[in-house]
Amino acid sequence: MSLRLGGALRELRIHLCQTSKQSEGVREFIKNNYVNIKKENPNFPILIRECSGVQPRVWARYEHGVECCQDLNDLTPDQVMDVLKRLAQ
Amino acid sequence: MLRQPLSRALALTSPTRAAPLAARRFAEQVQARPDNVEVFIDDQPVYVPPGTTVLQAAAQVGVEIPRFCYHERLAVAGNCRMCLVEVEKSPKPVAACAMPVMKGMRVKTNSDLTRKAREGVMEFLLVNHPLDCPICDQGGECDLQDQSMAFGSDKSRFTDIHFSGKRAVEDKDVGPLIKTIMTRCIHCTRCIRFASEVAGVDDFGTTGRGTDMQVGTYVEKMFLSELSGNIIDLCPVGALTSKPYSFAARPWETRRIDSVDVLDPLGSNIVVATRTNEVLRILPRTNEEINEEWLADKSRFACDGLKRQRLVTPMMADSRGNLTPCEWEDAIVAAARALRDCPPDKLVAVSGDLADAESLVALKDLLNKLGSENTCTEQYFPLEGSGIDFRSSYLLNTKIANVEEADFVLLIGTNVRFEAPLLNARIRKAFIHKETDVALVGPKVDLTYDYMHVGDSASIVKDLATGTSAHEVLKRLESAKRPVVILGADQLKTQEGSALLAYTQELALRLQDKLQDKNWKVLNVLQRTASQVAALDIGYKPGVGKVLEAGPKVVYLLGADAGVVTRESLPKDAVVIYQGHHGDVGAQAADIVLPGAAYTEKRATYVNAEGRAQQTLVAVTPPGKAREDWKIIRALSEVVGERLPYDNLDEVRTRMSEISPALVSYGDVQDNNYFAQARALAQSLQKPVSGKLDVQLKTLEDYFMTDSISRASPTMAKCVQAVLKQKQSPY
Repeated sequence: MSLRLGGALRELRIHLCQTSKQSEGVREFIKNNYVNIKKENPNFPILIRECSGVQPRVWARYEHGVECCQDLNDLTPDQVMDVLKRLAQ
Repeated sequence: MLRQPLSRALALTSPTRAAPLAARRFAEQVQARPDNVEVFIDDQPVYVPPGTTVLQAAAQVGVEIPRFCYHERLAVAGNCRMCLVEVEKSPKPVAACAMPVMKGMRVKTNSDLTRKAREGVMEFLLVNHPLDCPICDQGGECDLQDQSMAFGSDKSRFTDIHFSGKRAVEDKDVGPLIKTIMTRCIHCTRCIRFASEVAGVDDFGTTGRGTDMQVGTYVEKMFLSELSGNIIDLCPVGALTSKPYSFAARPWETRRIDSVDVLDPLGSNIVVATRTNEVLRILPRTNEEINEEWLADKSRFACDGLKRQRLVTPMMADSRGNLTPCEWEDAIVAAARALRDCPPDKLVAVSGDLADAESLVALKDLLNKLGSENTCTEQYFPLEGSGIDFRSSYLLNTKIANVEEADFVLLIGTNVRFEAPLLNARIRKAFIHKETDVALVGPKVDLTYDYMHVGDSASIVKDLATGTSAHEVLKRLESAKRPVVILGADQLKTQEGSALLAYTQELALRLQDKLQDKNWKVLNVLQRTASQVAALDIGYKPGVGKVLEAGPKVVYLLGADAGVVTRESLPKDAVVIYQGHHGDVGAQAADIVLPGAAYTEKRATYVNAEGRAQQTLVAVTPPGKAREDWKIIRALSEVVGERLPYDNLDEVRTRMSEISPALVSYGDVQDNNYFAQARALAQSLQKPVSGKLDVQLKTLEDYFMTDSISRASPTMAKCVQAVLKQKQSPY
């Protein structure tokens, strides 16, 4: 399950709620996978921003300020990983 | 050890707090509460816990009993006698502020006896009080004025004016902030109690008895406290008034705008009083979660710095290198040309102490669009490990108000008294009322309370984290039920910063894992500036060291006045664009100056050290040609050819919520988690440390001038001089 971040991708921002059901998969994902991803991609900003009541989302910023947003509502940790992989390509 | 400064001080109960705190549950706090007792206030029944005073019980049913000496955040003194009320079956009227309720007590707050008692007290107070209301600065906000109208007599029996005259007392000199007119003093002793309980400077007291009684410092001495301005608000009469504001305005002439302070990282809530587009004074606004009702002196008195050293027009360096005023058009076009012609990797933006979230977002978007990733802050924070990925790594996770509940506080490399005065006031409150103990790793400083000094070498933190320390502090920390560890962000800028942070995380999390109370957070990082948390939230890279080494061609300073970017550190041909409100260090180094707005002149978002987003409101308009900061960057983006997709504040804020939703959840603190993940990544950073911890602000004279606004303030300069002069004095 390795994830290479870089190339045109400059920054990932993950928004999630601390308690809601919709964010549960994202919370699990961060708990289990974040450390490994960060170890493989040191110094790559993966900004995890918690805020109660928000829909879980991931924002990817590429070169020249182009951004792409993906909904992570009710996804399982594996599906979250797939979304990130797609964004990283 | 007796920590209560007044022997008769009753245990202070914190006033009811807003929801987030009330919702906290602690394992040990579930205890049987004694039954409430029923009392009757003007025949209205009310149930209150035993120990409540009559005055508090009356307040619960909406009956306000007049008072001068009683203050809910200070110990009860009971010496003004204004709160006398009749209690059935009691031979004499009783002082409501000091009298605990008893079962079935019937209090009459509006009976003939009560009214006569109030009239009598009022008459005595007025006999000894000058009739100089027309020239008194308290006029219009004076408790004595208001209450004599409401409860006083319609005539006076004072006739002694032709014989010995009115009581007169010599004025005291307590420094450049507080003006004293001691003849007006009614001896409520609020200032004395504040100084000894909250400020921790036990200099005030009374001398003499009866008509000769005086409040003062006995020997002439400055009130050496960073919270001294609060006694102006506390004084119910005009005995203590603000020196910089003296004879400036009447309260009914001013417009009051709610805002947020930015001169320390706590984001105290303030009210800005303005008249004719001028900031006249700044007063605290009650917020139980942050500043209670206090305000630090810098936040209160540095507002005259907003009128000096301002950048009022765009400027460009001429052929001889002197900055000369020009039109917005010319400055923007020149700045845009510099930005456009610069290779992306040589383009750098540096944000300073007072930058707001809106302009930070706009500037980062602009640089990203131009292909540059070099947006940084002046303050450093280690990016190794998890860096700024988790908000919990760089915030005060315990939250300011919860520090009161702590039973052990460990301060690492921070002089919290001057870095965040009101947080220190909270720690002091816990120290005095809750038997909290404090330990400090760092240089010995005066924190206004006793603490264990563990030493000043960084290796102590390592020993504590690994559990090998033989010091008593380790045992105390491990046995504490609600420990708090506060690390000063200034310590992180050294080579050993990342290791120090890693050890602090390790220590805090080791403690946190063992706690019964799973919601209690131990790890705290105290940032030094108001803008840093927002900048890190947005994804600014902390520290400029690396980007300066790369030799940037264009440097965009967004209010960067701390002096970390200097002309000497840049290549000769680099273009420096400075956007900000004061002609300070940053503007001096600049080739192009774009005048921005100060915090009183814009509606802007600031995130405080606990991660609470708050907004300032427009109190006055920016001077001259200065404009709101995000608008300048938006205009610039259009000329550069990379138009930013927002045209009004709402759209900027929508963009902010895309970056971090917490930036627009105004007033709330979000819970931040994932300590364990940050700790896992920090494990590899735990390298040996050998340095000494030092703090920048050691004594009071260091506190007053720390940013571009307070450096421009004449009042703050006078304070520094006065403190230095006081140091020469034998007292």
